[in-house]
Amino acid sequence: MTAAVLAAPGVPRTRVLRWGPAGYIAGRVLQAAGVLWAAYTVTFVILWLLPSDPLALVLSANNVELDSLTPAQLAEAQARYGLDQPVLTQYWTMLTNALHGDLGTSTTKGVPVTQLIAERLPGTLQLSGLAILLALGGGVLVAWLAAYVRWSPLRLLLTRLPSAGVAFPSFWIGLLLIQVFAFGLGWLPSTGSAGPQALILPAVTMAIPTGAAFAQVLTRSLTDTLAEPYITTATATGLSRAAVIGRHALRNAALPTLTILGLLVGGTVTGAIVTETVFARQGVGTLAQESVLNQDVPVVQAVVVLAAAAFVLVNLLVDLLYPLLDPRIARSR
Amino acid sequence: MTLSRRFATLASATAVTALLAACSTAGATGTDPTEDAGDPVSGGTLDVAFFPDNAAFACVDPFQTYWIEHRTVIRNFADSLTDQDPETGELVPWLATDWQVSDDGLSYTFDLRDDVTFSDGTAFTADSVKLAFDSGAATLEQLPTAYGAVYLAGYDSTEVVDGDTVVVHFSTPNSAFLQGTSTTNLAILAASSYQATPEERCLGDVVGSGPFVLEDYSPGEKTVLTKREGYDWGSELREHSGEAYLDGITFTYVAEDSVRVGQLTSDAIDIAWPRNPISENDTALIQSSGDSVVSRSLPGPANTYYPNVADGKILADEQVRLALQKAIDRDSYASTIFGTEYPAVTSIYDTTTPSYQDHTDDLAYDADGAADLLDEAGWTLGDDGYRYKDGQKLTLSTPVIAQFSAGDQLIQDQLKAVGIDLELNVITQAQRSEVLAAGDYDLISTYYTRADPGVIQWIVDARYAGSQAQAVNALTADQTAEVQALLDRGTTTLDATARSEVYAELQDYYLEHALAFPTFERVQTAGVSAAVHGFRFTSESFGDFADTWITP
Amino acid sequence: MTTLTQSRVTAAARAAAPARTATGRSARRRATARALLRRPGFLIALAFTGFVILSALVPAWFTSADPYATAPADKLLPPSAAHLFGTDELGRDLFSRVLHGGALTIQATALAIGIALVGGLGLGVLSGFVGGWVDALVMRAVDVLLAIPGLLLALAIVTAVGFGTVPVAVAVGVGIIPGFARTTRAEVLRVKTLPYVEAARTGGAPWGRVLLRHVLPNSWGPVAVLAVLDFGAAIIAVAALSFLGFGAEPPAAEWGTLISAGRNYLVTSPWLSLLPGLFVGLLVLALNHLARTVEEVGR
Repeated sequence: MTAAVLAAPGVPRTRVLRWGPAGYIAGRVLQAAGVLWAAYTVTFVILWLLPSDPLALVLSANNVELDSLTPAQLAEAQARYGLDQPVLTQYWTMLTNALHGDLGTSTTKGVPVTQLIAERLPGTLQLSGLAILLALGGGVLVAWLAAYVRWSPLRLLLTRLPSAGVAFPSFWIGLLLIQVFAFGLGWLPSTGSAGPQALILPAVTMAIPTGAAFAQVLTRSLTDTLAEPYITTATATGLSRAAVIGRHALRNAALPTLTILGLLVGGTVTGAIVTETVFARQGVGTLAQESVLNQDVPVVQAVVVLAAAAFVLVNLLVDLLYPLLDPRIARSR
Repeated sequence: MTLSRRFATLASATAVTALLAACSTAGATGTDPTEDAGDPVSGGTLDVAFFPDNAAFACVDPFQTYWIEHRTVIRNFADSLTDQDPETGELVPWLATDWQVSDDGLSYTFDLRDDVTFSDGTAFTADSVKLAFDSGAATLEQLPTAYGAVYLAGYDSTEVVDGDTVVVHFSTPNSAFLQGTSTTNLAILAASSYQATPEERCLGDVVGSGPFVLEDYSPGEKTVLTKREGYDWGSELREHSGEAYLDGITFTYVAEDSVRVGQLTSDAIDIAWPRNPISENDTALIQSSGDSVVSRSLPGPANTYYPNVADGKILADEQVRLALQKAIDRDSYASTIFGTEYPAVTSIYDTTTPSYQDHTDDLAYDADGAADLLDEAGWTLGDDGYRYKDGQKLTLSTPVIAQFSAGDQLIQDQLKAVGIDLELNVITQAQRSEVLAAGDYDLISTYYTRADPGVIQWIVDARYAGSQAQAVNALTADQTAEVQALLDRGTTTLDATARSEVYAELQDYYLEHALAFPTFERVQTAGVSAAVHGFRFTSESFGDFADTWITP
Repeated sequence: MTTLTQSRVTAAARAAAPARTATGRSARRRATARALLRRPGFLIALAFTGFVILSALVPAWFTSADPYATAPADKLLPPSAAHLFGTDELGRDLFSRVLHGGALTIQATALAIGIALVGGLGLGVLSGFVGGWVDALVMRAVDVLLAIPGLLLALAIVTAVGFGTVPVAVAVGVGIIPGFARTTRAEVLRVKTLPYVEAARTGGAPWGRVLLRHVLPNSWGPVAVLAVLDFGAAIIAVAALSFLGFGAEPPAAEWGTLISAGRNYLVTSPWLSLLPGLFVGLLVLALNHLARTVEEVGR
């Protein structure tokens, strides 16, 4: 039913039956590649609409303005940064290089983009990984409690708690956490990348909006599931309320939330931009922010494609795993 | 160098406010980290938190970088031929024991120490100096925009006379070169560094002869220095010439001011060193936790609005410029933006610049005088509180980078009081050159850090300036002729006193015609933990940690 | 910011929500209104939202202080009767700045939602109503937009178009379009199969008439709820972009700019950042509550 519509919008479920699993997988992989290519192109187009000449920026970073160069120096500088080619040629060169694993050279840092990303990625992966775990754990806990608790004021509070989680800007939450836990109580380090303790506050900051969004969807799905007849049956067989919610309802309710997993993973990339800035961590998020501000086209391009790839990949996995997990679809095969 | 004048200035300034003195400490309860505090103890690592690294140009190559924070790092791992006394502006021996300048100002002869080695074990010789300057010139061939261009202007060649004597030749006089040899920008690196490309040097392929060794530079994240064993050639400006007391220094880059201060007060770091001065409230916070705040003005042109006086621009009218000068309340600016202890700017130069002259009177706040001048110039008040002339509103536009606009907003409100509408045009750093080239501004804010007054050429002299458009717009043709004549006299005058008089004349000229609108004195402040002693500001207001030690 | 993600997640959840029947619309609406007015939480949220919107439109009704007048002597005063939210680092009244900043933020948000509504409704209706390869094409485009993280997309657009309230609004609006397009499409697909719409179509009614008379009126309910939810999400997105320094020209200040400007005084004058942040958070919370309650009661 609704879950199937959500899982792979636009891809009719019937294709699974008509072409067999292999065809389905191939189709989805192709589609994912197409989305990636389109994301790359969209970014390129947006970035080439930028008002400023990237060259002007590189030069003004050196305290010299474009207008003080002779035409010869200008041409040389343009050639140096590969900016003397027609736009389409630049696009084609970049795309083919990207397919060969060469994402170009940062115009401002003078280092291969792949090297920059390889340096910055581990920190962000750790942070995002922990944040997603916290978000999933917290989301499940809140949703389960909201279904379990019967005292209605508390129940209402628990249902509304996720709304509060998404209502407050995460940069604000991050500053508040630093204030309380690092400066006030002195329990955790405020910034930096040293040690696992430094990971806690930024991960919590990132997990709050993500977990809240997750909890909202899960709560909604759980409410629907709890109204289904088989839950009533399970309760009638004498199972405890906690067990019914935990074992039966939650498991079924969790299925639809799988489909937003891709969005949550994609969301952590943008979450990282602000979180890493506030907590002075070096990661892909701060790399993205610096690069957008400095119009470092190759780096922005690479980060966007990376984020899109994470999103597409997770969605692909979910789509491929979904038929195996959903008992209703599994039965129909 | 007019030493007596500088001393007098400093003394009077100190009377006005304790913060202004060459190296002062606003530590009410904390111990003064610049003062003697018993016998130094060796060991320990100093943790310094800086303003974020330069995202646009990550570079620790002395010759290429302009980032103030990196210049502090460089000062600690690389040595220069000379050192400059922050108190007097006088140059003292360092890697060079003595020097002579030819009468035509085109040749500089240096006698060098023969007991110095770089941290890779190679010896410092006359060849090292030649290689350093030649490589600088070569870097400029490749990257004409490299920052070191200012310091090597007119450079021709270096001649090795013998193992410890070199002669540096110039094709045109560059009277600031000697001061340049004391800066980090002309620090001498080992031969291996110059075999690397400029890009590799930027990212940390640099070997110096300083009291520390550059261990690791991770752009945007941290810079790690370790102690150089066997160092024994510190300049006389240091308390001791031998090995550093610290085992190492770790510099981290923190975006949030409040986070940096919180780290200091919670003892997570030893020094919190922001780009902009530490605010009054944060200073109080730091002091109440027993730590202290040290400060020193950065030498060079103060933070200043330079006008666009091109034909048809409102500020082409000197009356309006003079009115604008009077309409800015600099005392209120300093106390509001930075705190009651903060010094107001008193010339087009910061107080620590050699040849600085006190022009407090020319920069006094006089709203009524400003209004009178504007009335005379034909700009009359309209119903909306702004002035108009022939239907044109008195609107001045200035580009600002949003992050630093609080001060601009205060000036905006000050100017509103006399009927001038200051429009703050928010741009990115990248758009600045577009705005400049198009002449699409009336005022543009800039500054420069160097302990030599001649450096103003790189702002206002179109023959040298970083931005042609900005320099051309800043002066009319007649004014350009007068200013360039003065600046040329400055670069060719070798006698310190005579040279100072030239720049004194320049300051007079600029303020008489209101060709620059200083807004604030650029003071470097650093919050220093009570456990840290032996902190020293160099003449360029960078940190020198060779004498620094930490109470165990 | 995960806010744009949040709006996308909400949209996904909306698309999955069970279908409603469209019978007895007006009678049910009256019942819904009565049920809503009996809920105190709803009334409080409604009152606060109303106050914020009114104060953004006519700030002079609620504060007489000039939001741009500096007063160095009165800088960084804590909240008091004279200055409800205290004063900022230039001595300006923060409450007045929040209310005047509200006008900018609300305008930007309304514009963003407008763009998302027009773009999203258009794409969704086109996709759902026409179907076939148009549907496939539009949905692929939506997939691509969804794949690029919202804030990155917005940042890139803002840098391309420039600074200020309008570019920020455009950037945020474009980021929300996919959610709207999907929700609208799902609704249109559902309504299209309702018996009387089928009847009208097969009965030879012109497609434009079917669209306007039957499909749109029956589809817009969930879209409207999403619009209110997204209004909250868009406020945070606008705040995030102005927090990063892309907002209106000074001295005007959007909410994000106020939070950003105050954070350097977090230790000593926490109200500078906390009160505007709280104000924004409460408004978004109120909006979410309104949307959720309407939805719950309407079920």
